[in-house]
Amino acid sequence: MGKNRVEHGRGRRANVVRQQRADSTRVFYIALGVIAIIGIALVARTARHGARARQAIDVQATPAQAEGYLLGNPNAPVQIMEFADFECPACGQFATITEPDVRQRIVNTGLASYRFFDFPLSQHRNTMPASNAAACAADQGKFWQMHDKLFYGQPEWNGEATDDPMKVFSRYAKEIGLDVGTWTTCVEEQRHLPRILGNRAEGMRRKVQSTPTFVIGTKQIDGALSYDEIKAYVDSAAKQAASRPAAPAAGAGSTASSAAPAAAPADTGAAAKR
Amino acid sequence: MKPRMLIALLALVGAFVALYLTLYKVGVIGELSCTVGSCETVNTSRWATFLGLPVAAWGLGSYVVLLALALVGMQTSSRLVAWAITVLATWNFLFSAWLTYLERYVIHAYCMWCLISATLVTLIFITAVVDLKRTLRPA
Repeated sequence: MGKNRVEHGRGRRANVVRQQRADSTRVFYIALGVIAIIGIALVARTARHGARARQAIDVQATPAQAEGYLLGNPNAPVQIMEFADFECPACGQFATITEPDVRQRIVNTGLASYRFFDFPLSQHRNTMPASNAAACAADQGKFWQMHDKLFYGQPEWNGEATDDPMKVFSRYAKEIGLDVGTWTTCVEEQRHLPRILGNRAEGMRRKVQSTPTFVIGTKQIDGALSYDEIKAYVDSAAKQAASRPAAPAAGAGSTASSAAPAAAPADTGAAAKR
Repeated sequence: MKPRMLIALLALVGAFVALYLTLYKVGVIGELSCTVGSCETVNTSRWATFLGLPVAAWGLGSYVVLLALALVGMQTSSRLVAWAITVLATWNFLFSAWLTYLERYVIHAYCMWCLISATLVTLIFITAVVDLKRTLRPA
């Protein structure tokens, strides 16, 4: 349509058309600029907001109904619970980068105990075998060794890498010195499926929305925390526990350990060896 | 407004959507935490990577190229540019349709930003065809 006008337009008419064209070009560049500014602002805001999106929710310090996997002294003044999925990249990053410090400076020093709960997510197709591999390693007192192997080696067995994660897991089992035969039978039977599902149920009861999620004292925080953040939460939880009369703190500790029957002592043993 | 202007504007919007999804995939945005929601289901599925790169990064690249082509195309009435835009827009349209099919029938989850991108890609495709027809029309 515009073209017709150009062809028929002569003299003043052509000038009007040229003017209109210049106008539409100007409108175009303004629109382009506006989109660019809005886009940059939104992306920048999301990126910055993302770093701060973490929120601690106050939760009741109710003892867990599932046992999880314990590391450290069950009677430590503060309890850290982690809900994680073995195939979740954020959990892997946390386990490789931050967790060694947490173990060395918080768990081993007796400031807090650490409990891992499986929270397998449906979009990760190899995470259930991984949880099984870890649960069966726990039978032989080597949960944490398998936990570390799984997280450190995540890219070689996750759903994008392979359809047969068991091949990789068997290698891990050999490397950490498990009785591979017993372990394989246990994994193939999915002997500890109830335990894994129990751990996940504990997470669902606590309305865990994403992995990793941490519960430290009376705070529930989602997202991978840094060492400093964990230390700050542990310190404030310890202060809170100390300011209360001694009884409830001890009570919380003992209920938590009584809620963790059979397998807990074995895991504690494994933890002490580390 | 000329079709190529419209393509440029749509491609810029698309580039930001793809940039957001790419940053999400790479982990700059958010905690890179794995959530129960469906955008995560889609973006962490194995179809979120194509030839070793996140699908969102491919999208970002193609939107930027489309934007550049459209801007160049505003300065010239070259048929080559019109063809290039149309070929790229068609490829994007087909790829996006395939992804939406996967979301609907295989992953069983929709990702809002992916659907927004699919809509943009469709609009660009239609505009590109209109533009090509105009360019090919004998002067």
